[in-house]
Amino acid sequence: MDFLLYLLPHLLNGVALGLLFALIALGFMLIIGVMEVINLAHGSLFALGAYFALSLMTPDGGLKLGIAQLLFDLPIGWRYVIVLILAPIGVAVVGMGLEVCLRRTYGKDPLYGLLLTFGAALVLEELIRLTWGPTERFIPMPPSITGAVFIGDLIYSKYRFFASGFAILMIGLLWLFLEKTPYGALIKAGAHDSEMVRALGVNLTRLRLFVFGFGTALAAIAGIVMAPIWGVRPHVGVDAVVPAFVIIVLGGVGSFWGAVIAGLLVGMVVGLTGAYATDWSLIAMYILLILVVTFRARGLLGKKSVLEL
Amino acid sequence: MKIKITRRALLAGTAATAGVTAFAGPWKHNRVWAQRTDKPILIGLTHDASGQFANSGQDEQRGTIMAIEEINAKGGVLGRKLSYIVADTETTPSTATRIAERMINRNEVAFIVGAIQSGVANAIGQVAQKYGVVYFNTNSSSPTEAGKDCQRVKFVWDGTGANFANAAAANAVKTFGKKWLLLTNDYVWGHNTSKATRTTAVQYGADVFDEILVPVGTRDFSPILLKIQQAKPDVVAAAVGGDDFKVMRQQTVDMKLDRKPAWLNNQQDWPDVYGLGIDSVFGVFGTTWYHKLDLPGVEDLVKKYQARWPDTRIDVPGNVFYNGYMAMHELAKAIERAGSTNNLKVIRALEGHKMSARDRLQHGDAYIDPVSHHVQQTIYMAMGNDKPVDKTDYFKILSWVGADDAKDKNEATDCKLQPLDKTPSYEM
Repeated sequence: MDFLLYLLPHLLNGVALGLLFALIALGFMLIIGVMEVINLAHGSLFALGAYFALSLMTPDGGLKLGIAQLLFDLPIGWRYVIVLILAPIGVAVVGMGLEVCLRRTYGKDPLYGLLLTFGAALVLEELIRLTWGPTERFIPMPPSITGAVFIGDLIYSKYRFFASGFAILMIGLLWLFLEKTPYGALIKAGAHDSEMVRALGVNLTRLRLFVFGFGTALAAIAGIVMAPIWGVRPHVGVDAVVPAFVIIVLGGVGSFWGAVIAGLLVGMVVGLTGAYATDWSLIAMYILLILVVTFRARGLLGKKSVLEL
Repeated sequence: MKIKITRRALLAGTAATAGVTAFAGPWKHNRVWAQRTDKPILIGLTHDASGQFANSGQDEQRGTIMAIEEINAKGGVLGRKLSYIVADTETTPSTATRIAERMINRNEVAFIVGAIQSGVANAIGQVAQKYGVVYFNTNSSSPTEAGKDCQRVKFVWDGTGANFANAAAANAVKTFGKKWLLLTNDYVWGHNTSKATRTTAVQYGADVFDEILVPVGTRDFSPILLKIQQAKPDVVAAAVGGDDFKVMRQQTVDMKLDRKPAWLNNQQDWPDVYGLGIDSVFGVFGTTWYHKLDLPGVEDLVKKYQARWPDTRIDVPGNVFYNGYMAMHELAKAIERAGSTNNLKVIRALEGHKMSARDRLQHGDAYIDPVSHHVQQTIYMAMGNDKPVDKTDYFKILSWVGADDAKDKNEATDCKLQPLDKTPSYEM
């Protein structure tokens, strides 16, 4: 009984962590699934989302425009809601710019896209450093979602409940968008057979632009949500891109539910090793990856690979 | 064409080759090119500009550069100006090794100054010892730096984890309780600091019942914080640094665990906390300096810093800047005392050198321990300030401990300095 009482908070924490990991991986999954581009700039765009949010949330955030004062005069709760909309749009514009640069790499060796996004990641990180400085920054949050929750003897972060709930909401909305709207159908069709989609008269160039912008906006949303947990510093993106990559490979490239399940698995593994063998907590997700890929090379819910035919 | 080599020509050639080799040969032997010259003394500044300690590295750099500018404004050293080159050590020991080699062999620096991370400091120290180049580890505070990894050419300017543990542990056992849990960053500084904390705490009656290893790069502390809650310690003694510490602090404060249990955070570097708000400072911690110490000269230094670095986000100097600044000034003074840039003479001028509290802008006198090359100095214990006088007043200084009381006694046994006559000699 004592064992279960000890274990239960860690299991719940693992689920919460997993939802956050899934949120981080969503944008990455969308871009790699539809466009077959491993977007190594995902982490930097994640960081950029946090910095855009910083600029919109506080006068210390570096936004010198007079119109911004209107935003700063709003109650913090409203400001946060507006930031959750505006900052991802801003990052989506940057992402679309990156997609335009990527166009010449389509249909060529995937290494070109990989190298280009890697270069973009370095440039974006340096731009962040130049614009906002190298010091740690802090985004103020509405008081209603900060502080602690008391559950019996245990204290847990209120913000984590909010972040996990938000992750569930985002997963649900993205699923509805992909499954229940004509735009989602187009995206899925584009991922399945882009030439056929083009032959049916769909503007593939515009579709790719939209998907890349949408994927980077999701990265920005994850960056904003994770900011109060991981902090805001120029290189915070590195902390996001690695788990995102692991989750996508683990779940199966292009699989929506694969990414969600893999995120939950990674969260659970990190959470439980953190509780029982903390020094293994970082390496645990990679061990999980090796185990899964050893027995199922395409990941948990990935499409069948040519190698398996 | 037939060439005839006479015995005389052979002897002359051999002598000429030996002569050139003696002067131009590898660094190991001798460097005397610049003797009796007025060319600037070149200093290699090894400061992190990227990686986990980038922010601290840049703060340290502000200290060393400001000191160099002040020294040059007063005419330099021995009539020569100081010049410098800066390289980013990337918080990575292998990069630090490469940079130290390049600075010594290609740039021909006379001295090397700078380090935040212990692995980086140790890497530079090893290269510096190979060539005999005097090296100042300004801000890395692993006890091993002045212990088993000490070097004849290396001087350690920051307080180490052992100093902070000595200053805090006795008081913490008495005030907060005996049930202790250690939180250890899984690298050299973390392990050595926790080891020193354990030794001191146990000596004062603490029961250290668990030690949690925190991998470097941990971004989620929630499982650890839950574990701590379940274990119910009186004191959590944390040796967690850099970004890991920032993330841990943020998550601990968010979970409202910053008041209970009591947190003993070994050392709090100013760049790691400044800008996050006074509320983000938690626990009891050590520092070597604070910009609101009520001592002559402190206010002047703050004003000079603000005049020189008006655009930095760190509005006032902290301990990391201070260590870089003081170290550079002491290097210049040591060269003056030695009357030469000869490394062995400078080392002798530094060993055992006493620095007054007034010059150090601290409450107690300091000295460079000739046994370990560690600057034994005043250690302050502090906590978050509940009555700040302005927006920069993050710390409340609780007490201070003099150099000898904070001293790590193990340094005397752990540190084995190489003999001076086995250290390569040079003069630039």
